[in-house]
Amino acid sequence: MAEIRLSAENRTEFGKGFARRARAVNKIPGVVYGHGEPVRHVLLPGHDLMIALRTSNVLLSLDFGDGTTQLVLPKDVQKDPVKRTLEHVDLLLVRQGEKVTVDVAVTPVGEVVTGAVLDQPLTSVSVLTEATHIPTSFEVDVEKKEEGFQLFARDLQLPEGVELLTDGDQLVLHVAATRGEVSEEAAEAAEGEGDAGDAAGE
Amino acid sequence: MLIPRRVKHRKQHHPGRSGASKGGNNLAFGEYGIQALTPAYVTNRQIESARIAINRHIRRGGKVWINIYPDRPLTKKPAETRMGSGKGSPEWWVANVKPGRVLFELSYPNEERAREALLRATHKLPLKCRIIKREAGDI
Repeated sequence: MAEIRLSAENRTEFGKGFARRARAVNKIPGVVYGHGEPVRHVLLPGHDLMIALRTSNVLLSLDFGDGTTQLVLPKDVQKDPVKRTLEHVDLLLVRQGEKVTVDVAVTPVGEVVTGAVLDQPLTSVSVLTEATHIPTSFEVDVEKKEEGFQLFARDLQLPEGVELLTDGDQLVLHVAATRGEVSEEAAEAAEGEGDAGDAAGE
Repeated sequence: MLIPRRVKHRKQHHPGRSGASKGGNNLAFGEYGIQALTPAYVTNRQIESARIAINRHIRRGGKVWINIYPDRPLTKKPAETRMGSGKGSPEWWVANVKPGRVLFELSYPNEERAREALLRATHKLPLKCRIIKREAGDI
């Protein structure tokens, strides 16, 4: 995965007042830390950062304008719960060739057989990988898989240089059977029984 | 219907309704969810009604998670009662929902049907909400 270049500037003021003024001009406050180096407070371009963060575990190259660049990974992203706009970002300093621990999504591809349903208890797995070669996702082919198919974390096909940290015995996905469509009356009867049980409990 | 088995105080003050939700703002289990956009007290009857609406639409083959719990009692004085004589009796159990909170989550293979099921559930809820889907950058 190629790195994305972002222009960054050092932040000299702090607090909610400054942060709000910065967000008003579409700059996102952030902090860069890692490797025991002094913490660096930065301001990042809001729109470019928002687009970059649409990719999980995206590698960013911060250009400070004075000839210094830093490779970073997003560690924590704070968003407005309703508007979904970026409020603050924590960035972890990484080096070329360094190994990092990240969560990578597991994406099922294809449709299971008719009458069965795919259940995915684990949507991402934790892996140890090179910071410059983080997989975007692990694709699992579930095309025409039948009832009883199970995939554990240890069964995932990992690219070379990627080490699984999640417990290998954890179930990632499985194909379960549906018991056929229920009629409206049967569904209502089942719901009614549930309600009666609750009322008795009260 | 969801109801606490035992509470420390039978009659409580009204829960605060200001501010946004501090947690539970993202999908944790399913692929689709209902997110609150306004604050509201959601009663256990409304939660149950929304759950039934989802289950009836998806029938089989999906999984539903309810992320809120009606743990706060609201009291009411009887009709035509003079003021005083203490606090009324507990009448409802509500979940104090604030904007941003994900109320229900659903895992279902067909997106169109999943969205329709959640839309039907939103009609049972006393607040403005939207249907959200898990995205790549969420991890």
